[in-house]
Amino acid sequence: MPLRDDFPILQRLIHGHPLVYLDNAATTQKPQVVIDAMNDYYTQSNANVHRAVHTLAGEATDGYEACRTRLKTWFNAERAILTSGTTEAINLVAHAWGRANLVKGDAIVLTEMEHHSDIVPWQMLAEERGVEVRYVPVLEDFTLDMDVYAASLEGTKLVCVVHTSNVLGVRNPLEDIIRLGHEAGAKVLIDAAQGVPHDRIDFDAFGADFMAFSAHKMCGPTGIGALLVRPEVFEEMEPFMGGGDMIETVTIEGSTYQTNEHKFEAGTPRIAEAIGWNAAFGWMESLDLKHEHKRMLEIARYTAAELRTLGMTVYGRHDDSDSAVVSFLHPTLHSEDLAHLLDARGYAVRTGHHCAQPLLHRLGISSTVRASFYLYNTMEEAEQFIVQVKNILERFA
Amino acid sequence: MTYPAQLVELIEEFQDADDQMERLEMVFEMADEVVLIPIDDWSDHTRVVGCQSEAHVRVSLDDGKVLMAGAADAQLVQGLMGILTIAINGSAPAQALLLSPEFAQEMGILKSLSPSRSNGFRNMFDKVMLEIRGLVE
Repeated sequence: MPLRDDFPILQRLIHGHPLVYLDNAATTQKPQVVIDAMNDYYTQSNANVHRAVHTLAGEATDGYEACRTRLKTWFNAERAILTSGTTEAINLVAHAWGRANLVKGDAIVLTEMEHHSDIVPWQMLAEERGVEVRYVPVLEDFTLDMDVYAASLEGTKLVCVVHTSNVLGVRNPLEDIIRLGHEAGAKVLIDAAQGVPHDRIDFDAFGADFMAFSAHKMCGPTGIGALLVRPEVFEEMEPFMGGGDMIETVTIEGSTYQTNEHKFEAGTPRIAEAIGWNAAFGWMESLDLKHEHKRMLEIARYTAAELRTLGMTVYGRHDDSDSAVVSFLHPTLHSEDLAHLLDARGYAVRTGHHCAQPLLHRLGISSTVRASFYLYNTMEEAEQFIVQVKNILERFA
Repeated sequence: MTYPAQLVELIEEFQDADDQMERLEMVFEMADEVVLIPIDDWSDHTRVVGCQSEAHVRVSLDDGKVLMAGAADAQLVQGLMGILTIAINGSAPAQALLLSPEFAQEMGILKSLSPSRSNGFRNMFDKVMLEIRGLVE
């Protein structure tokens, strides 16, 4: 498979067995072009951005800003703030928009499906500002209770919802969520960390006010992500972190701020990471993502069906728009044991609560094993995975 | 690091294993070595915090010697408790406190000993050592 050849790490042996990497919902592997782009930056162009006039500074600035331009083109967005990742992007909204626009008595609507990074910042803000946090429950079919959602919107100023669950792979009815939220006068933030790796979203047409995501879940480097913001909402945001690069002028009496995205990017930014992320976009550009998504989903459906025949409970539904995530549990063999045993055969899966404890509490469990597939995974790997799980159950369960 | 004789023997056995799967199977078998804490006695006081599995340990002194008891819902975590049991039960507290967690790496069971929420062994080891210190101070 030519695509797999782009990923040097897939040649690795783990305990003498070829690596089968199925922890893509946590982070994806990096193609050689991303590694090369970052290496080239450090070996040829390393300098700080935006200020100096020398050649290296110009190259670094162009490389960094090219990532922003790529984000705007890829997602059809007018404003793209570069952050350290999804978590920082959501925290940025809480500080830069939330503090400026939410007052005591306002409500924020979250869902039980959220990652901790889309819960904790709001709980902190709620405590500070006296804002009410409401949660939309998850139903037995792993979908959100949209009746409760609609009923929760009165007095709500902000809705924060995960695009696709990192545990269930379920893609939420975002179009309805955004429309209803806006009709109620609320702003809508989408945590798209698990969405953008599978779906090339048109942010402008999508209609959300904020969208947060990370590079490392779509073949880019760790340590960088973005917050897309609608232009009119961007104007409602106040600077959060102060420092160099975000200012226009600084005097003893006070400071004035930049008016573009730099206003929210104080300090030396993640230059190499931006250059690496841009290379990842370039690499993905050549792929038919819709076709790949369909292929990955077929692998996930096969895996889920086979795991059920082995006595596992599978948490998810794998509809056409869902991601290729398969969370499962064996009735007796502990998830952590199974993950260690799979690792002994070269299979990398995730276990635990996946930073979604309220969701797992709703499901009545404390952990799952999660196999998540991405562009370089094959049906043959899934078939061998099932064989290994079967062998392990015969020997240990 | 100098280990107690019974642990040295165990380390050698693990190092002789054919592969990682066999090594893990050996850890599974070590779960039987644990002096079990009945589930009704599990409490926040016995819980190993930061462990993915439900794991409990309790350390007391029996005639001045360390007596560790434990239980876990993950067999590998309980197996690691079994190895620790072999290493420290019956030892003087001062002797037990000399043990460092690197033996789990030397056995080839764990690659990393960094404290993290996925490292049940490290969290369990640290709690046991803390309790022994508490008993002698």
